[in-house]
Amino acid sequence: MPENPAPEQDPVINSSLSRPLLVSSLVVFLTLVWALADETYFMRPWKQYQRRFVNLYTAYLKRIQPVQGRGEEAIRKSAAYQELDRQIKEAQKAAAPEVSRINREMNEIIQPRLSDLTAKFQEVRGHVSALTYDLETTASPSSKKSIQQEIDKVRKERHELKLAKAEGSGQTERVEWDFSQLEQEYQSLKDRKAQLTSELIRAQAPETELRQKLNTYVKEQMTGLTREQIQGLVDKMETFRVEIKQIHVKEIDLVDRCESCHLGAREPVEIRKADMRGEEVFTSHPSRDLLKIHDPERFGCTPCHNGNGIGTASVEKAHGTYEHWLWPLYTKANVEAGCEQCHAREIVTDHAETLNQGRELFRGQGCMGCHRFEGFDREPEVLQTVRQTIRQLDMERGDAERDMNRAFQKMDDPNNPAEELDSLKARADQLRVNIIRMNEKLEQLDMQSRSLLLEVKKVAPSLKEVRVKLRKEWIPVWIKNPHQFRPTTKMPVFRLDEDEIQAIAAFIWQSGVEGKLPEHPMGNAGRGKELFETRGCMACHSVGEGSNFQGGTFAANLTRVGEKANYQYLVRWVHNPRERTRPYCALEKRDIGPEDYARHGKPFLFDLQHTACPNDGYTLQVQQMTVMPSLRLTWEEAQDIAAYLMTLKRPDATYPPAPYLDDPQLKAKGVHLVRNYGCAGCHEISGLEDEGRIGTELTKEGSKPIERLDFALLTHEAKRQGWYDHKGFFTRKLRQPDFFDQGKVKAKLDRLKMPNFELKPEEINAVTTLLLGAVDSQLPESYFYKPEDQRRDIQEGWWIVRKYNCMGCHVLRANQQTVFITLLRYQDPDWKEQMPPQLVGEGARVDPEWLVRFLSNPALNDKDVNRNGVRTYLRARMPTFSFSAGEVDKLVRFFMALASQSTPYIQPKKDLELLTEAERTMARQLFTSKGAPCLKCHATGNAAHDARATAPNFLMARDRLKPGWTLRWILDPAMIAPGTAMPSGLFRREGNHWVFNGPLPESFKGYTKDQADLLVRYMFEFTPEELRRLGAGGVAD
Amino acid sequence: MDWAQLWEIAVAPDNVPITALLFLVPFFAWFGLRQARANDRLIEQLEANPEMAKNHHRKVQPWKPGWVREVQVWPYLLRIEFLAVLIVTAILMIWSITLNAPLEEPSNPTLTMNPAKAPWYFLGLQEMLVYFDPWMAGVVLPSLIIVGLMAIPYIDANPLGAGYYTFKQRKWAILTFCFGFIGLWVAMVIIGTFIRGPGWMWFWPGTTWDHDRLEFMVNRDLPDIFGITGFLGKGIFGAIVVLLYMTAAGFGFHKLFNLNEFNRKIYKRMNIFQYVTMQLFLILMLSLPVKMMLRLLFRIKYVWITPWFNI
Repeated sequence: MPENPAPEQDPVINSSLSRPLLVSSLVVFLTLVWALADETYFMRPWKQYQRRFVNLYTAYLKRIQPVQGRGEEAIRKSAAYQELDRQIKEAQKAAAPEVSRINREMNEIIQPRLSDLTAKFQEVRGHVSALTYDLETTASPSSKKSIQQEIDKVRKERHELKLAKAEGSGQTERVEWDFSQLEQEYQSLKDRKAQLTSELIRAQAPETELRQKLNTYVKEQMTGLTREQIQGLVDKMETFRVEIKQIHVKEIDLVDRCESCHLGAREPVEIRKADMRGEEVFTSHPSRDLLKIHDPERFGCTPCHNGNGIGTASVEKAHGTYEHWLWPLYTKANVEAGCEQCHAREIVTDHAETLNQGRELFRGQGCMGCHRFEGFDREPEVLQTVRQTIRQLDMERGDAERDMNRAFQKMDDPNNPAEELDSLKARADQLRVNIIRMNEKLEQLDMQSRSLLLEVKKVAPSLKEVRVKLRKEWIPVWIKNPHQFRPTTKMPVFRLDEDEIQAIAAFIWQSGVEGKLPEHPMGNAGRGKELFETRGCMACHSVGEGSNFQGGTFAANLTRVGEKANYQYLVRWVHNPRERTRPYCALEKRDIGPEDYARHGKPFLFDLQHTACPNDGYTLQVQQMTVMPSLRLTWEEAQDIAAYLMTLKRPDATYPPAPYLDDPQLKAKGVHLVRNYGCAGCHEISGLEDEGRIGTELTKEGSKPIERLDFALLTHEAKRQGWYDHKGFFTRKLRQPDFFDQGKVKAKLDRLKMPNFELKPEEINAVTTLLLGAVDSQLPESYFYKPEDQRRDIQEGWWIVRKYNCMGCHVLRANQQTVFITLLRYQDPDWKEQMPPQLVGEGARVDPEWLVRFLSNPALNDKDVNRNGVRTYLRARMPTFSFSAGEVDKLVRFFMALASQSTPYIQPKKDLELLTEAERTMARQLFTSKGAPCLKCHATGNAAHDARATAPNFLMARDRLKPGWTLRWILDPAMIAPGTAMPSGLFRREGNHWVFNGPLPESFKGYTKDQADLLVRYMFEFTPEELRRLGAGGVAD
Repeated sequence: MDWAQLWEIAVAPDNVPITALLFLVPFFAWFGLRQARANDRLIEQLEANPEMAKNHHRKVQPWKPGWVREVQVWPYLLRIEFLAVLIVTAILMIWSITLNAPLEEPSNPTLTMNPAKAPWYFLGLQEMLVYFDPWMAGVVLPSLIIVGLMAIPYIDANPLGAGYYTFKQRKWAILTFCFGFIGLWVAMVIIGTFIRGPGWMWFWPGTTWDHDRLEFMVNRDLPDIFGITGFLGKGIFGAIVVLLYMTAAGFGFHKLFNLNEFNRKIYKRMNIFQYVTMQLFLILMLSLPVKMMLRLLFRIKYVWITPWFNI
């Protein structure tokens, strides 16, 4: 055995752990450093943003400072500035002796003495006050006494101090005062100081005032900030503190820290991306006007923009573009979605063009036919409620009547005791009062329901008229793909099989009502074309496809209308589109025919004056539910236009015969399909008048949890590709409505039903914006834009303006396009005056009562209806829309509100000073003078003259116009309606009144009153006799 | 194979402990067993050479000449513990810096999350709910687990293996632990994390967790297969089946326990209460995988149906 093999090392004792210990200590230390760095730096990226902002912004400010400075310099050199500057110097000089006197006393006497005195006085006063407090709070009388003694002692104690002498020699005096002396001296010095200060202000008042004037002057002249103001901003940046910048709105418990990075959002200087070396995060808010209306201190940022306002850890966190933040920042394309939340009551919101487009598409394309969306198409719902209330009230009234009769019968019973008789009588009386009240209420509701019946419109034409209206073979071709026949049509493409098409077509054809159309001879197509292009049809309708396209997009493109329509039907339709073949009774739920009328011995006559059902007296739907108005054409004109429309077709158009349309078996199948695809949402269809909406409600679609949006088999793809959000769903669904059926195995009728509207990408974006904004808001009621004043009238009015496409003809707001402006014919300068009138400021122009009359009957005449009421010379015609009373009322209030007119309007005509005989003569002369040939352009009622007139008849002024506006108008018409033919500069200002700017008739010599006012008063006293008189004067020509 | 889905589950901040568990549990099991085997060899050595046993030796390392007789806690143990403290601190720090608390959106009572999972340490309990009715899985079995753990010291009649790693001297205990903890508890946690997807459906790792997935599965009760109807019939039948299972399992465990000489000695040291208690808990423990098999392979929901409880 070898001796003592080297003993093996003990692994526990001899192994050293120092290396692992060192390494792990280092690791722990490093993690500590990391934690600190994370805490101060990585988790707070906004710190770096703020530092960068300070640098960039300071540099930018310094860059613009000299530029602004140069502008300021120029202002300083202006005469007005120099003059003010001189005045300031003078004022300074004048005040100088007084100022120096005050300053001397203040600085040499009061201040030194006061500062010597103050410390001692305050010390003693402090002591006394503290003791007094003890005295007040001590309960025991003995200690009260002792404290009182101490106070007295302190008050009496004398203090030695050195004071500057009162005469201001600079020497000091030594005094020994007790507390009351100290107090007295202190108070007197203070009083004197206050007196001197006010004297100083008084002495400098003229100078201060001038300086203020100068500052205001500079501010008004400068565009942007002055050098000094910019310097102020630079200084602010120097003392900038790196910290979280947050807006806290207590009312809605909102904390928004967006401005921790978006530091330039509210800076007074406009900051663009380029100014900040391309860092978009620092730019100013793009719309200051919006910020002015929505002050961030009250609205914050996220209520409009969405995103996680509290987040500051990273861009993703703050913008909320991560999985667990439900409402990520709206993208730039959809930023207006934020408006919808509070402005949900509107169809037109200022500053939100995309959103407005989305709403208009939603309304115009008939989305609300299938999808309920609060605010859109509310008339049918209201109508239903009103009708239900009527039924209920009717029943209650019946009960009350029965009760009353019973009470009367009991009263007749001789066995009744007297006291019961009294109570019965009282009860009967009470019931009678109730019945009267119910009758009144019923009458009101009945009016309302009639009004609503007029207001209910369908997006698409009635399918009850197909048998009298359409070419039979055309129907299946159209249903198959409407866009092929008419690319711009609103009718969407349904994904239908051939047999479905046949069944639907058969149902529609067979469910059409029978009727006889009056026979009209064929009109003149050439004349019809002229009429079609000038009467105003093209404000809504268009003709031509592609580059030949002309007209409005509000209604159908008629390029191929001749292929499908029946001439006789077109004549009736053009003459009055509201005319129905048969009226509809909502009580019997069927269309009433001549046989029903005959049974009751009544003529087959139904229109807005004859609305009672012959069977049960229920109010009939006597109009077609179209927004197309009547242009009050003569039958000849209607024939001409219809003849022209019949020529609009492709010469080679052929349609295969469709005998199956008469197959009754297919009809039964068809009704099922029509119901399934929701055709009745847009069309009026026999038997399906009361169909509900088939789609999901979209009022709160934007805040539907993402899990409730059915991405079906594409969920995972969407998540991976990053479009698993509301926007991703909406855009894809709108682009291809059966998108989310991909890969699904479903029965035909279970598949997604939404048809394809073939919207353009920007239209899809607009509708998406609307849907994103349609949220279940968490904000309190007070944040919603629900004004109760005139702004409400504007909100309501826009709905009607949009509904009837008023803006196809009229300019309602500055810079707005109308269809007329784009029409080829109206590019000709001679035709400019043929344009429908601009309505900017219409509310200020016309008397609301007159406007009510005009809107109800634009011909302003019950007999001579085939004309315009105001501008008889226009070829385009203001149509008769058959507005309900409610709609007229809303429109009038809308125009008044738009022009900020106070309501109700009280005619000031009676206050107008009556013309004296001399004045009348003068006005008459002026009216007909060569310098102001008013009647040359204004219509007079003389047919020969009016053919060339370009302005309305003066006879209407009295009822139609407001005097105040009339005066403003004749003074400067170009200001009110740019481009008007009415000449400006007719009057010039002389002293404090207006005089005619041209050769004046003799009689005006010595007339000192306002001549424009004279003319206005004359116009408001205009009578037919006066007009004849002027005509007799030979002016008409 | 949907790797993205698997990755998503594995790296979710909530699941980090479980992903770590996947690696750490096998590692430490192996590490402990390695130590046990080293000790077992030492025990063999000592038994073979009683002379050697007279020498001083440490329990965990075979004695070598020149080694000190005893090793002090300070510094030899504490410095290792300190090292462990440093390493764990570093890991926790890095973990807390890199992975933030997985906060999600505000709760919405009308829209609950799917799958809704318990915290990872309770996933085993949640998984048990699939196989037993809530009264059993939620109350009875968890209580029995706790009581069973508390009972271990009192039924343990084996005097060896305290204070050092050994497999040989504690085979029964270690195998039972491996079966109960690793085989059942840890496995169920992992199933709950990686395999249970939306609707608590069984998704093999690597398949996409599809919320719209439909699975055709009709569960039946054991008595139904035998055409037994009526409360009484079902109750009696179930009781018989359960009793049969318990008898069979008890007999099996008895055979297993008495398989080697060592255990037979232990058996003799045990009194009747100790043995019955051990048997009871073993039978109950085995019932979990048995029930899982019945459910997963044979679609059997309940075996014993009574108006008061179902098993």
